[in-house]
Parts: sequence; C-alpha cells; structure tokens
Amino acid sequence: MKSVIIGAHLQRDDIEPVAEALAVGDLFLSGLPVADDQPLGDRDLLLRVAKVRAALLDRATFIAIRYGFAGSPPEVASKCAAHVERWRALLEQHRDEVEMTLKVVAPEQQPRPDRRDFTSGGEYLKALHAATTAVDVDPDFRAAVENAIGKGRWLHRDQASLEFAALVARDAVERVRVAGEELKQRFPRVPFLLSGPWPLEVFADDRGE
Amino acid sequence: MIVANDEATLRQQLAFTDSMIPERISADPEIVENGLAKLVLSIIELIRRLLEKQALRRMDAGNLSDDEIEKLGTALMKLEEKMNELKRTFGLSDDDLNLKLGPVKMWE
Amino acid sequence: MDETLEELSLLEALDHLLDRGVVIAGEAVISIGDVDLLYLGLNIVLANVDAIVRTGRK
Repeated sequence: MKSVIIGAHLQRDDIEPVAEALAVGDLFLSGLPVADDQPLGDRDLLLRVAKVRAALLDRATFIAIRYGFAGSPPEVASKCAAHVERWRALLEQHRDEVEMTLKVVAPEQQPRPDRRDFTSGGEYLKALHAATTAVDVDPDFRAAVENAIGKGRWLHRDQASLEFAALVARDAVERVRVAGEELKQRFPRVPFLLSGPWPLEVFADDRGE
Repeated sequence: MIVANDEATLRQQLAFTDSMIPERISADPEIVENGLAKLVLSIIELIRRLLEKQALRRMDAGNLSDDEIEKLGTALMKLEEKMNELKRTFGLSDDDLNLKLGPVKMWE
Repeated sequence: MDETLEELSLLEALDHLLDRGVVIAGEAVISIGDVDLLYLGLNIVLANVDAIVRTGRK
C-alpha cells in the first residue's frame, strides 16, 4: 500500500481526519492511500488530491510537497528526513500565513529565439533565458499589485506571463480579494488571475522555484 | 478564491500545466498501435519542454558554470532539432502533439 | 461562477498541485552533461505509460 504525499504539517490534528498522517521526525506528513498499481497521471486522482489539499489548508498552513511521490511509510520517511528541520522552522515562522498568487499576461510575447541563429549552445540557452526574464508588465500595475497584496516575489515562469507570490495573514485573505476586485476596476485591460489561499509553495522551496 | 480579469485571454495565454497531463489513453491494442508514433513523440516533446523549463530555472538560480551552460544549451538545441526531424518523418504537427485534458468539467 | 471561471479555478488548482512545492521524489533524474535536472512531471507521464502497458498485457 502506498500513499500519495501531499504536505508537511506541524501537528497530527492539522491533518486528521481529512487525510492520513505519517510521523517523520518532529513533523507529520499528510498522505492519501492509493492502490499500489494506481498510476499517478490519473486525472481523477489529481482532482481528489487537489480537493484534499484545500481541505487541509482550511485546518492549518502546511508546506506543499509537489505532486508526484507516492510511497510506503519507510520510503516517505527516508525521502523527507533531511528536510524536516528546515520545514519545521518555516512552519513555525509562517503558522498564521497563507500564500496568494497573481498571474498576469504580458502585453507582448517575447519572441522565442530561433536555435538556427546560434552556433553556440551556451549562447542559445542564454538567449532563451533572456527572453523569459525580459517579460514585464506596466510598472503602475506592478506597484498596484504590491499595494494590494503586500510584499512578495515576482517570478518568471515563461515567456508570456509574470507571476507574483506573497505571504499574507490568514485573516487578510478577504481583504486581498476585495483589493483584487479593485485592481480589476482600475486596470480593465490587464488580464490577470488572482488566486489563493495556497499552502506554502513558492516560499517553501529553497531553490526559489 | 479567484479573481479573474478577461477570462478568455487568461485561458488562452497562461501556460497551465494541464497540457502536461496525458489524456487517458485507450488500452485497446488496435487504437494504441495506430496512435503509437503520436504517443511516443508526445512524450518526447513533453520531456523536451520539461528539460528546457528546468534548465531555465537553473539559469535563474545562477548556479551553472559556463561549461555547464554550454553543454545544456547544446543538448537542448540538438533535442529540438531531433524533435523537428521526427515530426516531419511522421507527418505530425505541433497541434497533433498537444497533450491536453479532455473537456474540463466542474468538480465538487 | 460561470463556466470559464470554473475552468480557470480548476486549472489553477491543478497548476499549484503540479508545478509548485517542494520536490521530494528523486528517482527520475535526467542528467545532461553532468548537470542533474529533476523532473517530477516525468514521473507522472511514466507512471501513466506503465499502467497502460500493464493493462494491455492482462
């Protein structure tokens, strides 16, 4: 029997009875038990896990573990042992906070560099990277987003959009939603998507993804 | 909670990861065989995209040596070239290789 | 919520599930020129293909 691992939580009560709790070091991991031959790329399973994730977030903030790992308790423990200390510190620091994200479509798509224009692989990769980081949006809009949500990080995920992620107090989510509606009014032609609350995702990954 | 401005543009322009999830593929041997080239190439294309994405994230993090950047970049170029060759050989377009979820329905 | 908004909401939930968070699955590591590039997305694809192959054999 294996379990799809969902997140890392401070207390067992943060998990049960919504999901199964596995103790690892001082922390508890949440899991959804599935059959051993259950494929992970199953849409129904994905939707179930997304739903459980939302229910878990209602109880308490947790560290989001990227979908894709399912294992037995000993396998889970061995994968997570090295991370537990760092996770515990993050969870204690951000106990009452959740993540909010805002995606915005860039007004111009950066053209993708054509590999045939390059003889050096390194130059090609650098050009690809430059095209991604060149994506930007109206500075007024950027400032308005930071005002509406709070201090956070701007991330370049691809060549056509920009993303903002911030931690906000749990009881500030409604205020952020209202501010989002105001942004809609103020910038009617900027296509953006404000969503949340989310568990610690961007702010949990030490590789800054 | 979600606040969206201009849903149509968002749906079209934002790169959601749904395109990375393979459609539920039939296990009927005849259907599988006919669709095999498409399946294989779709998977290779998915891998290529993921590799590129991850290489770009490593560039962002700034923890690659010049030598590593050169090797990664060259490998990505070759992978892209190979994919284009394969697509031409099997007469498949980018649209043919687009892996998407079926019609998205409301979930409870 | 109208249909497009529902769809966006669903896509957002899946995007946050699949493309964010701490990576712990370490089996599928692809290296290019000694640079380790780790792909969770690959786990999902391979797991799906594996299930299809096994179903076909039954």
